[in-house]
Amino acid sequence: MQLQPDKMTEFPEQLRLEAGIYVRDFIKWLQINFEPLFDSIVIGLTWVLIHIDQFLQWLPWWAFILIVFFLGTYFKSLIAGLTYALMLLIIGSFGLWDLLMYTVSIVVTSVIISVILGIPIGIYMAYSKRFETFMKPLLDAMQTMPSFVYLIPAMILFGLGKVPAIFATLIYAIPPVIRLTNLAIRNVSSEMVEAAEAFGSSRWQLLTKVQLPQAMPTIMTGVNQTTMMALAMVVIASMIGAEGLGMEVLTAINRIDIAMGFEAGISIVFLAIIIDRITLAISERSQKRK
Amino acid sequence: MERMIKKILLFTAVFALFILSACGGNSDAEVAKKETIVFADAGWDSIRFHNSVAQTIIENGFGYKTVVTQGSTPATFTGLREGDIDVYMEVWTDNIKEQYEEAIEEGSIVDLSVNFDDNRQGLYVPTFVIKGDPQRGIEPVAPDLKSVEDLKKYADVFADPEDPGKGRVYGAPTGWAVDKTITDKMESYGLMETYNLFHPGSDTALATSIIKAYDEGEPWVGYYWEPTWIMGLYDMTLLKEPEYDPEIFQESAMTAFPSVSVMVSVNKSMLDAAPEVVDFLKNYQTSSELTNEALAYMQENDARAEEAAVWWMKQHEDLWISWLPEDVAAKVKESLE
Repeated sequence: MQLQPDKMTEFPEQLRLEAGIYVRDFIKWLQINFEPLFDSIVIGLTWVLIHIDQFLQWLPWWAFILIVFFLGTYFKSLIAGLTYALMLLIIGSFGLWDLLMYTVSIVVTSVIISVILGIPIGIYMAYSKRFETFMKPLLDAMQTMPSFVYLIPAMILFGLGKVPAIFATLIYAIPPVIRLTNLAIRNVSSEMVEAAEAFGSSRWQLLTKVQLPQAMPTIMTGVNQTTMMALAMVVIASMIGAEGLGMEVLTAINRIDIAMGFEAGISIVFLAIIIDRITLAISERSQKRK
Repeated sequence: MERMIKKILLFTAVFALFILSACGGNSDAEVAKKETIVFADAGWDSIRFHNSVAQTIIENGFGYKTVVTQGSTPATFTGLREGDIDVYMEVWTDNIKEQYEEAIEEGSIVDLSVNFDDNRQGLYVPTFVIKGDPQRGIEPVAPDLKSVEDLKKYADVFADPEDPGKGRVYGAPTGWAVDKTITDKMESYGLMETYNLFHPGSDTALATSIIKAYDEGEPWVGYYWEPTWIMGLYDMTLLKEPEYDPEIFQESAMTAFPSVSVMVSVNKSMLDAAPEVVDFLKNYQTSSELTNEALAYMQENDARAEEAAVWWMKQHEDLWISWLPEDVAAKVKESLE
């Protein structure tokens, strides 16, 4: 038999599978047949966002700093509270206060939606082996699929602006809270569950009185990670028209403006540090109380 | 233990020194002659097409190898200044005005020719907004919309989904120099009271918003430019403005945009390293229309830029032959057969 190195190294042309076309047609189909559905999602989410925005814009800047200061002092220490307040002051002094508020509102909305959707999904995963097997690769895909790949369909369906930005942030940021809820519930010791069952508690009681409280610290770690990942998406979110610190970074990138890029970039870092430390402290606190 | 750490440190230092000296030696030898010419692909189709035309000519006519480096506009333009990229077939001077002027001033890049300067930009609407589209059952929602000034009457037509009381004008991708002109324009025309200027963040997002609106038959108004495949594919109307006047444009931006000079620029090292290529690129001149032809061909036939270049060069033989010395032109022509 003769070796055919040329033929062997080339993947056969006949096996070309054009899966992308079906995805494109599916998106088109959704766009045409479900326009009212997507429009109403946009209207609903926009309403929530606008109100969070309005509240944050209405809140005087010093009040916001004070709140963060008290949270820091209460959950960590006086020094921590002072440091966070100083960081916010620095962001304000860069002239980025409004943009900071926009970013906070997108991050807060994404995290709230992540928690509302993520914890029940995580609980269901813990109860159903089959659902877990189905969800795991999906979660992997959500975390590794390059974001513009699903952003273009998201823009086609939701338009440009804050709503697709939230959508993109959700996809990227929701996996940790789902994974850790699942893990936490599964890790509640079986003796404890058996004991509760022996005392005749219903499934609902078992979940709310035993499993969830036991799992809370781990779930809070998940929420903390979700928040950090939501922050990591702010620049991508700006590429589809969401206002905020990310937009400033993007402008700096496009103008090769080192100064502007540094100010906006360091502001995002400060915001991340503040959110990370405070949410971590809250989860540690809940662990201790137990 | 301590001795061992010292040894490792010493070894590392010697090794680093060795590498450094090796690097120094390399760069001296490099100046003499270029073997490979690096083109910039800043991400849009027309630059890819012009790259392919120039590459075909340079490879087959002058015998150089060519490669293309991809990246965003700022990244590739920085590459051109630093010498990582040799040739940039489309420098849209107005969009990166500051960096461009800086680069010309410091002499790191050299303009060889104007690739084309008959392009158009401004505020566009889909034509069905004005004329309707009976085939798709779309009523004209703004029948008297002709100029940018007329937009005032139609703020409710172009409602902003995030702020329904106002209209939404889609601006230039974030950070483009033209962004400021659009802001000035909207203020001068008194559109800021009834419209929000929306920052789409990226070129992709801006284009996607047009595609979405067009496919759904929804009104859309915003900044775009041609030659682009979007303008080739969709029927869009440029809103009228008074003729371009430099003074008024500076002051209030209340005239049409001037055409942008789209330059063919090279890194300064090319002048010595590949003089015959520089001579060829000095002659490289096309037009928006010629470029649009190639872009339309790409869209219609799902063709890649290289295929479009070959097709286009067969269509316009006289043009590119006039850029080249006879013997070179003959070689290129042979390669196309």
